[in-house]
Amino acid sequence: MKSVYAKFAGIVGVLTLSLSVFAQQSSGPTLPPAELAKQQTERTTQQPYNNQPVWSNARGATSGYTSIPGPEAGVLIQDGGQTWRALKNGTVSVYGGWALVAMMLVIGGFYAWKGTIQLHESPTGRMVERFTLLERMAHWSTAISFSVLAISGLILAFGKNILIPVFGFHLFSWLATIAKTLHNFIGPLFIISCVITFVVFLRDNWPKAVDFKWVASFGGLLSGKHVPSEKFNAGEKIWFWGGLMVLGIVVGASGLVLNFPNFGQTRATMQLASLIHLGGSILFMVGALGHIYMGTLGMAGAFNAMKTGSVDEAWAKEHHEIWLNDIKAGKIPAVRSKTHAQPQPVGGDD
Amino acid sequence: MARMKFICDAERCIECNGCVTACKNEHDVPWGVNRRRVVTLNDGIVGAERSISVACMHCSDAPCQAVCPVNCFYKTEDGVVLHDKDLCIGCGYCFYACPFGAPQFPQAGAFGLRGKMDKCTFCAGGPEKDNSKAENEKYGRNRLAEGKLPACAEMCSTKALLAGDGDVLSDIYRERVMRRGRGGDLWGHATAYGVPGAKPAAQPAAPVQQKS
Repeated sequence: MKSVYAKFAGIVGVLTLSLSVFAQQSSGPTLPPAELAKQQTERTTQQPYNNQPVWSNARGATSGYTSIPGPEAGVLIQDGGQTWRALKNGTVSVYGGWALVAMMLVIGGFYAWKGTIQLHESPTGRMVERFTLLERMAHWSTAISFSVLAISGLILAFGKNILIPVFGFHLFSWLATIAKTLHNFIGPLFIISCVITFVVFLRDNWPKAVDFKWVASFGGLLSGKHVPSEKFNAGEKIWFWGGLMVLGIVVGASGLVLNFPNFGQTRATMQLASLIHLGGSILFMVGALGHIYMGTLGMAGAFNAMKTGSVDEAWAKEHHEIWLNDIKAGKIPAVRSKTHAQPQPVGGDD
Repeated sequence: MARMKFICDAERCIECNGCVTACKNEHDVPWGVNRRRVVTLNDGIVGAERSISVACMHCSDAPCQAVCPVNCFYKTEDGVVLHDKDLCIGCGYCFYACPFGAPQFPQAGAFGLRGKMDKCTFCAGGPEKDNSKAENEKYGRNRLAEGKLPACAEMCSTKALLAGDGDVLSDIYRERVMRRGRGGDLWGHATAYGVPGAKPAAQPAAPVQQKS
């Protein structure tokens, strides 16, 4: 019993601590408003003009009466904004911004070291269907909307420091207006694309025992050894669950809170959502940089898989051997497209 | 150089909302936006009720200015925090950051369509030419350029709300505090609060408790 209580107290403690960041930053313990009002009533007779009990509770979420309509109009002073400002302009933006720069440097360094990783065997010329048209459309709608959101989001988050000195106030303001409008309207489309992509690729992303071996050797990326993997290797599966699903939910939900102020959510809610959105989207972009690199510059042949939908057998054998073997054994249908669009040879009439 | 400030004397504010009305009238503030509002704490509790008029406080280190993604805020040489509506993109960050709820938006639409932010200008207009038509349409009247102080304070019937140079205001307020004296020596104290130490003579009826 005791340990249960201890655990519960621990959880409550952690929650209180994290919530207190967003609660008022008063110097001492605050009394409930009713108690303070009682104190003030007494003090008014004893020490007129000593309004300490009234003002001791004025900072924070104490809501008074006001005849002015509007959300939170009765709140005299809200303290959360100060915390939000400190975290947004400070910790989250500074560490987040440098995390993005660091990821770009890591990728640049890796490219300088390894270059585009080529196939070890020469292409066979036999093509295997990897992605159907539906899968590619789902992927590209997510990818394109993500890119628009990432670029517009970066303009809004860091443009103040980086672009205003270059463009000046007015030109940057136009750019920021475009960025904000795109961000707010493409955002919900991105969420829909994420859901479709999740459903379409879910079946091939179940974690299997073989994935742990892949993770342990980092896919043979550093050693150059061959590690067999299914249709999606463990790295892709981690990106599917951690990126598409977890970050998709975190960034998507917090984005919706910010994007629809018409539901009357309080400032405290939007401050929290803003920080989660900023932090989450930076993690999302760090992951996406790695994913985009691997799908384009990093691996020869990977981009064609998502572009045309089919890959060479040699590529399939090298990168997704278990998947290729399953196709050959007939466990996975070789052609999943309903209308299989094979590229037709040109000019072979006579 | 003056450092413009507001001060609201909670001992004098009678929650008449004259400042709110004066402001709305002076600047033709659109529906839904109130550059100034009066908040009453401990409403209806005898002896504990205090009202205070609040608007943009023209902070020295303004949070709105710090978080604005397009840097549309600027400070005049009188210490007034103003913003450029031509630059504002309506993101709402200033509204999250401000402790006083000063920045407001004409709309709170879906997809973050809020319109341009509007807030108290200390009756000092905006970046346009002083008292120009463009300035008037966007920010309201520029009374400071006319040599006048903000309308809210000028209209305050009890002179609870004062606006002007911080040094002058603190002199006025200091003198008030000294003249008021303390305890039962105060003029009118017994009328307002009863004899010191005794219970207030009249109590209003207890608020009706709503039974659910």
